[in-house]
Amino acid sequence: MTHDEMTRREFFQRAAAAGLAAYGLSQVVGGDEIAEAAAGGPIIVVASKRDPAGLARAAVDALGGMKKFVKPGGVVLVKPNMTWARRPEQAANTNPQVVAEIVRLCKAAGAREVKVMDHPLDSPETTVMKMSGIAAAAEAAGARVISASSMAMYQNARLPRAKVLKSAAVLRDLQRADVFINVPIAKVHNSTTVTLACKNLMGVVWDRGAWHQSGLDQCIADFAAQYRPQLTILDAVRVLLTNGPKGPGRTEDRGLIVAGTDPLAVDAYGATLLGYKPQQIGHLRLAAASGVGEIRLDRVAIKHV
Amino acid sequence: MSRRLRGLRRASQLVFFAAFVALFGLAATVAPTSVPPDLFLRSDPLIALSGMVSLRRLLLPLLWFALPVVALSLALGRAYCGWVCPMGTALDLGERLLHLRGRRPSQAPPWRRVKFYLLLALLVTILLPAARRSADELSLSQTVGLSAVYLLDPIALLTRTFTLVLLPAVQWVLGFTSDQLTAFSYSDLLDRHLWLARVVNPVQGAVGYVAGPTYFRLGLFSFAFFLGIIALGSIARRFWCRNLCPLGALLGFLGKASPVRLAVSEKCTRCLRCVNECKTGAITEDPHRYRGTECIACFTCVAICPEKAISLTVRRADADRDDALQLDRRRVLQAAGLGVAALVLPKVDWTGRFDERKVTKFASDKLIRPPGALPEEPFVTACVRCGECMKICPTNALQPALGEGGLQALGTPIVVPRIGPCAQACNLCGQVCPTRAIEPFTIEEKDHLYLGTAMVDRSLCIAWAADKQCLICDEACSYRAISQKTTEGVGRPVIDEHVCVGCGLCERACPIQPQAAIHVYASGDKRHLSRVEQAAWRQQAQQEPAGESPYPQQAGREGPG
Repeated sequence: MTHDEMTRREFFQRAAAAGLAAYGLSQVVGGDEIAEAAAGGPIIVVASKRDPAGLARAAVDALGGMKKFVKPGGVVLVKPNMTWARRPEQAANTNPQVVAEIVRLCKAAGAREVKVMDHPLDSPETTVMKMSGIAAAAEAAGARVISASSMAMYQNARLPRAKVLKSAAVLRDLQRADVFINVPIAKVHNSTTVTLACKNLMGVVWDRGAWHQSGLDQCIADFAAQYRPQLTILDAVRVLLTNGPKGPGRTEDRGLIVAGTDPLAVDAYGATLLGYKPQQIGHLRLAAASGVGEIRLDRVAIKHV
Repeated sequence: MSRRLRGLRRASQLVFFAAFVALFGLAATVAPTSVPPDLFLRSDPLIALSGMVSLRRLLLPLLWFALPVVALSLALGRAYCGWVCPMGTALDLGERLLHLRGRRPSQAPPWRRVKFYLLLALLVTILLPAARRSADELSLSQTVGLSAVYLLDPIALLTRTFTLVLLPAVQWVLGFTSDQLTAFSYSDLLDRHLWLARVVNPVQGAVGYVAGPTYFRLGLFSFAFFLGIIALGSIARRFWCRNLCPLGALLGFLGKASPVRLAVSEKCTRCLRCVNECKTGAITEDPHRYRGTECIACFTCVAICPEKAISLTVRRADADRDDALQLDRRRVLQAAGLGVAALVLPKVDWTGRFDERKVTKFASDKLIRPPGALPEEPFVTACVRCGECMKICPTNALQPALGEGGLQALGTPIVVPRIGPCAQACNLCGQVCPTRAIEPFTIEEKDHLYLGTAMVDRSLCIAWAADKQCLICDEACSYRAISQKTTEGVGRPVIDEHVCVGCGLCERACPIQPQAAIHVYASGDKRHLSRVEQAAWRQQAQQEPAGESPYPQQAGREGPG
């Protein structure tokens, strides 16, 4: 049976089995060894049954703790989805509690500065920052929350690994940060079917409009091949299932957070949460072909916490 | 004693000018205020008079503020012009900066009566009956017919100049500073010296917070117009106040019987310094003769007279010493005719014709009014072009109309989506409009206040014309008015005219430059329908409305930001 023919139910069975296996293994060996144990594939963590902040904390802990990623004195860029003038309960932007908890973890790990930045599409940007709840929550946790809506914040960068997108004006804060943490929310998307971690990276680019002209899926894949976050934390506490990415649409409470160091493995799992197979998503398929990561979930070790 | 009053008068001018600037700044923010930010407009007796004449009823919120100015004028003549008026102060400052001294009084044109004729013409324009939406909805258009007054009223003129010229200039400087600081904040210097970052970053944040890209069409025109008024000072100082200002004419008329008059004693040596230095030509070539309707009580003559022969005292009017105001009857009739012409002439323009829905038949399809705007005919009558809505609009979407609605609509607000969209979570323009030309509306109502309809230009749209994967318009749409029609595996945008309210977010977001492939057209404008009827139109949508309303009711002047 090829992956394309796998039904959702079969997939869930497999995922559950893989998760159980990983869980069993984790009881025997340490978290780091799981990756090797799963035939050299990547490891992702799926946290459940906690409040949003607890989910984030549990997921990061299961990956070895924030200290593994953030060194004392480091500068961290956290990239949530903070692009729409929508309220948190509408699930169009990343859950503010999740963002705030990640900021707290970074601070606790000794980060000198944590910046929370996105390039909103709605205007005015101040409304987006306020309505999303992210500005208030993340600032209270000690971050600088900045709307990246000034061209002065971007600098042209070459993307040598790209097939189509040979250069882009990329957020300078990303080019200079010690650690980059991508914190997308899982939503369906009118144009790219789903928007998860890879699609979320469009918010660190100034001239993203041109991506639509030169082929959106390939540009997303190209960018993901060049800029790989050290940590990807997918918010699936509440997912948006219709009228994405802006909504308002039908939402569903899943109470999950998916995290990992391989953005594609996280996205592959995220796609299944929205009812798609990873291989059905154009930009994930293209990114996998470029060697960004693993989208075959049977080769991913899934650790449930 | 009275020689010191010149200094006191200058101090008073600076205080009131500073207050004007402060209130202007206040009106550009969304912060709630205890002092009305439009205090100067409200205390302008000409605006109060024209508002009440055109409505034929008392407007207490205006009257309470205007009455003190009326009382001041009855007692002291045009002291307001000399001590309070920010326009007068702006002219004094401008003339000083540009070293404009005016010609000698004997060579200055004797046009001081022109302002009285202009005032008369303006008052004629407000005598016509109020345009109203319908008999039942009289209250909807509170103040009408002000537009001609607003053209020349000094307070309105200065407010408008500040909005269209000063505000964008200040915002540009702030934005430039913010960008420079942003660029600097990435320099290695800040990595090496953390204290520097601790200084630069908060400053950048603060500057960036108040800076917003503000740009207004007509800005250069308004600047040139204002500069022209100042430049007239090279013909005669305070040329505007002497010859043109209708408010000055009104206050001078009120002060005709003021008991405070100039008196020149026998010590006068006829050196004529007072005649040459008088800002408004209130002293005739014979220094013993005085024009009470012109004197702004600036105390310049009192202060400079080498013989200390001049004083302002309480005395009776006296045919030997006072030049009474004498208007020419023929000119009065001509002025009245000019007023009628000012009412009729805009209607000669094709775009001045309204159809039975009170929509201009020949207007541009870019005549996109803000939500809550009255139908076009009452709207252009009620709108006083004060620019408050444009100043408060957080996306800079509201711009003064150029030719879109014809001559009669010049300077009224329209939405220009490519500059900024009408943000879904905002209802500030309806809250600040002083004349309810834009009626207050709630954010919930915005899904059925139709400014226009967006239409896709399929020959430009890359999804339709080039089979590209785009749909940013659909993504950006706040109201779910755009759906995708998938043909040959490509999603292409299609618009539901019952759902699209013409907010322009799609046009703003469209990646096609410079001309968007999706445009809002005024053809979907439904201002001629009541809000209930517009809601019924919304119900005809193919797709069910979103159900849950995402926004809570906004109170007061609380808004985005």
